[in-house]
Amino acid sequence: MIRFVAIRLVEIAVVLALLSFAIYVLIGLMPGDPIDLMRNADPHMTAADVAHLKAVYGLDRPLVARYLAWITGALAGNLGYSRLFAEPVWTVLLPRLGNSLVLMGSSFILALLLGLVLGTLAARRPHSRLDAAINLVCFAGVSVPTFWLALVLILVFAADLGWLPASGAATAGVAEIGDRLRHLVLPVATLTLASVGGYTRYVRAAMREALAEDHIRTARAKGAGPARVIVHHALRSAMVPVTTILALSFGSLVSGALVTETMFAYPGMGKLIFDAVMGNDYNLALAGLLLAAVVTMLANLAADLAYGWLDPRVTYR
Amino acid sequence: MRLPAPLLLLAALALACIVGPWVGAALGSDGATVDLLHRLAGPSAVHPLGTDELGRDELLRLLGAGRVSLAIGVAAALTAAALGTTVGLAAGYLGGWTDRLSMRLTDAVIALPLLPLLIVLAALDLRKLGVPQWLARSDDISFLRIVLLAVLVSWTTPARLVRGAALAARNRDFVRAARSLGARVPHILRVHILPNALAPLTVATALSVGDVILLESVLSFLGLGIQPPLASWGTMLTNAQDLIETAPRLALYPGLMIFLTVIACNLLGDTLQHRLDRAAASRSASRGRAAKRLSAAR
Amino acid sequence: MTDSGGVQGLGADSMRSRHLARNALPTIFAGIVGVFSVALLAAASGSVPAGGVARGTLTIGITQFPATLNPDIDAMAAKSYVLGMAARPFTVYDAGWRLVCLLCRRLPSMANGLAVPVAVKNGKKGVALTYTIRPDAKWGDGVPVTTDDVMFTYDVGRNPQSAVTGAEFYRRVTRIDVKDKHTFTLHDDKLTFDYAAIDDFVPLPAHIERAAFADPAQYRIRSRYNTDSTDPGLYDGPYRISEVATGSYIVLTPNPYWSGPAPHFRRITVRAIENTAALEANLLSGSIDMVAGELGPPLDEALAFEAAHGDQFRFVYKPGLIFEHVDLNLARPALADRRVRQALLYGVDREAISKSLFAGRQPVADSFVSPLDAGYAGDIPHYRYDPAKAAQLLDAAGWHTAGGGLRRDAAGRVLSLELKTTAGDRTRELVEQVLQSQWRQIGVDVRIKNEPARVLFGESLPHRNFDMAMYAWISAPENVPRSIFDSQEVPDAANGYSGQNDTGFRNATMDRLIDATETELDPVKRKGLWAQMQRLYATELPSLPLYFRSNVFILPKWLKGVAPTGNQYPTTLWITDWTAQ
Repeated sequence: MIRFVAIRLVEIAVVLALLSFAIYVLIGLMPGDPIDLMRNADPHMTAADVAHLKAVYGLDRPLVARYLAWITGALAGNLGYSRLFAEPVWTVLLPRLGNSLVLMGSSFILALLLGLVLGTLAARRPHSRLDAAINLVCFAGVSVPTFWLALVLILVFAADLGWLPASGAATAGVAEIGDRLRHLVLPVATLTLASVGGYTRYVRAAMREALAEDHIRTARAKGAGPARVIVHHALRSAMVPVTTILALSFGSLVSGALVTETMFAYPGMGKLIFDAVMGNDYNLALAGLLLAAVVTMLANLAADLAYGWLDPRVTYR
Repeated sequence: MRLPAPLLLLAALALACIVGPWVGAALGSDGATVDLLHRLAGPSAVHPLGTDELGRDELLRLLGAGRVSLAIGVAAALTAAALGTTVGLAAGYLGGWTDRLSMRLTDAVIALPLLPLLIVLAALDLRKLGVPQWLARSDDISFLRIVLLAVLVSWTTPARLVRGAALAARNRDFVRAARSLGARVPHILRVHILPNALAPLTVATALSVGDVILLESVLSFLGLGIQPPLASWGTMLTNAQDLIETAPRLALYPGLMIFLTVIACNLLGDTLQHRLDRAAASRSASRGRAAKRLSAAR
Repeated sequence: MTDSGGVQGLGADSMRSRHLARNALPTIFAGIVGVFSVALLAAASGSVPAGGVARGTLTIGITQFPATLNPDIDAMAAKSYVLGMAARPFTVYDAGWRLVCLLCRRLPSMANGLAVPVAVKNGKKGVALTYTIRPDAKWGDGVPVTTDDVMFTYDVGRNPQSAVTGAEFYRRVTRIDVKDKHTFTLHDDKLTFDYAAIDDFVPLPAHIERAAFADPAQYRIRSRYNTDSTDPGLYDGPYRISEVATGSYIVLTPNPYWSGPAPHFRRITVRAIENTAALEANLLSGSIDMVAGELGPPLDEALAFEAAHGDQFRFVYKPGLIFEHVDLNLARPALADRRVRQALLYGVDREAISKSLFAGRQPVADSFVSPLDAGYAGDIPHYRYDPAKAAQLLDAAGWHTAGGGLRRDAAGRVLSLELKTTAGDRTRELVEQVLQSQWRQIGVDVRIKNEPARVLFGESLPHRNFDMAMYAWISAPENVPRSIFDSQEVPDAANGYSGQNDTGFRNATMDRLIDATETELDPVKRKGLWAQMQRLYATELPSLPLYFRSNVFILPKWLKGVAPTGNQYPTTLWITDWTAQ
């Protein structure tokens, strides 16, 4: 197994390196630069000024040279400065990362718990009215564009009823946890509603297969009660696809949710990466994207290792 | 075989959109004529769903936008399925380095946070990539761009599914028999392996139509989607959110269309899955299923 | 027990499973609900955000967050808006479009002897301007604003590595002579009629920033404005910045060393909410008190909002110096003919667009000069909507219709043009589609091809890769249009695509008028020159004038004193006039 892990780690490193180059090239292929927009916005600015500023920011050097400079710095641990915020990349990244972990983490846990419960309920009584109702509710959440859901929630709960704040992560100048929780309710609700459907479906399918297994029948034949059957026996088998979901969603803990963050003006990683990419802020964009990528790939590795623990029949090549 | 209800719903929607121009001829209007004097009008005899912010007939615009959205969804789903199947068959059947490379590539694509990647790809200057002028400047380029993006994002699921099916099937007796009889690889893939993969593939394709339509609406929200003069349900919905106070029905219609289509796709996928499960349960032993699940989980 | 795949096994169990459904699963569910409720209760116990209710605070909503707070790096409307409360430039144009002194004591003029023409090389005329800093001007840490700061800022601006924008100013000022701690003389190498306006010059606190400037190439990173924006010594205005949550909000509190009129609000929060629908929802919910017009929702959206909630807020519409127009590429054979250009303008009903899309709040423009501008001339050709006249002109130009369809020339080619604008701008897309429809009616085939702003401004315009392009020129009061109309300013490969004369307008009379207007000090004569320029523009039509875009200020009823300027200087420069009733 050590060999397996070692090989995968090497593969991850290679993928990261290739990914970083690909992203650098893609950003470089975006036409123009935000500095060009300044030319139009400022009546006194000339094109010579634009060219000069581009030179100051080092944008006139060839792409490959800039990439090599970046990667040598990155390998030494220096991720550089963010052009958009004129601060070191880590200073910009860390608070946003914290915000995203809180937002995505809460909605993920909530959606997963709900998914487990609803999926199990649906699996136990397939094709019943309960099953159909749960199906419909879940699919409804998944079938609406997120920005739409967010706007409706804001209009109902913040604008019309006034129960909850309409935007932001906290009220300016207030540092209590209660205030932060109030600001989290609507964004978390949006994200949970959007994802619970998918999780429920996964769990339901897995539970149905698991409940049809031989060892379940054996357990029942031995007299185990329904609760023990589900929790002790079926859940273990159903954890395989759940682990897959966990692994796939880990990356999103870091990469955030762009649309939700935009609608709620919540300062998270999703909006940060988007702004960095659109603003040609190579350092910041690369740091954010690669962070998300490495987390996802490590989570996949952990998931693969977990399969072995969960299901003894799985072996490693 | 009784057709599933969601499929009928989807077919009805598609049909309605296709006959849009004839509906327009019958009503005596089209979805493109601007009429500033009758903006945001309510439903009437000549405009069954009212007019939009430029006085254009809302019903016809909806149907026309539906053509675009459904076309994107179906085209992207089918292309992604085709691409994914090719990769999955190669990886699953041939194994070895082909498999390792394909799986790492799939991992890399899954690991990438999609939205930023899509933004970069959507904003790319096509001429820098060597795309010919006539194509880069054509009316439909935004349509093609989005289909391409959607394919890039959704090919990994069919690839994984087909690979799983190929892995499970390649060591089965009938395949080994075919090999020993001297059958060539393409024949084996086509006749023996592919039918096993067809079932989960169909389910995944049905689901991805809905996903692509949602993706298109998000891209429109970000301003990277379909460009005028083409309109899609996504662009109609995005534009309508600014008018939610004065004309909420302008948001209701495209939103409802997206909702119905996506939920129909999801339900269709679910129904197909259910039918396949039933067929599989009565066909193979549970041990075979367990083995298939194991390899698919990798 | 019978079995066929386990599905019926469950069914036989249904009695006991219903029991389970009644015991274990509800427990799980209850657990989740319980956790959620506790969270909600904890949230509910948090403090209610104090909005305008307390009346000592004001929360302003804007659509963009400033990237950096250094006044001299990066030109951004959001930054100007926030710094309007905290950093004082020397001169600005006020709401009456008069040049006024903010940081200086008196505007230099020929009359009061503070402006002295001097001869510079090439026989041209320059000017020496003497300014005196207000003696009571102090930075937020008590250190007075002196000529040390002026000289330091000049050094920073002149240094090619410092990434300062507004380089034009630092090129023209050849040297600065310091007379004493508060008085200095600028030597400008060109004498133009607006010689006293040095609005691009915002002094930086030398005693704080000098350390960051030790390595000029690193200045924009090491600047205290970025590393510690809440340092009070960085700001000399009525307010200082006391808290920054990057990407979210900025909090401003009164500057204790401000010696001007005392500001009313003890705390101002500026929140950035990019999505305009969400911005309006925030306004309704009370999270923000007002929306800044300079950075607010587009006009048609604001009109819709007013239609729904007009009684809850005060709406102020002010046309700005944002000239929305359609550039015509004169290199295209069809557009080279003046008759075609005029026909295109006759063929659009701009009044109808203004009335139906903008409720008449964005009056039609006849030229690039705003009616509020000193140089505005009313007696210039005005193009009413006249499709018959348009048809006549097109026929005369050789484009004929073949029975109600599209127009073709003698060789049978269709009159087909491409119209570009910034993608994702909903208002522009709407106007585009109206224009397309109206031009179709006079037989012109217009195809829409939108591009992201950075592509349009970064490549398509400078490389003149367009037929028609709809966008806005942002100008200043009495801003002579050299860069957009002078023959020397046409971007091409030879000059490295510099210059903003994207239409390719080459007219000797216009060149002459531009040179004359810039140096004409007599306001009456200058007005005459402006009138000539506008008449020439309206006759030749290198671009089609549409309207001056309006800014919408959505203000609470209890807020008084906000005076929209209509130019690019933000209303926040007069924050001390704002009060709550």
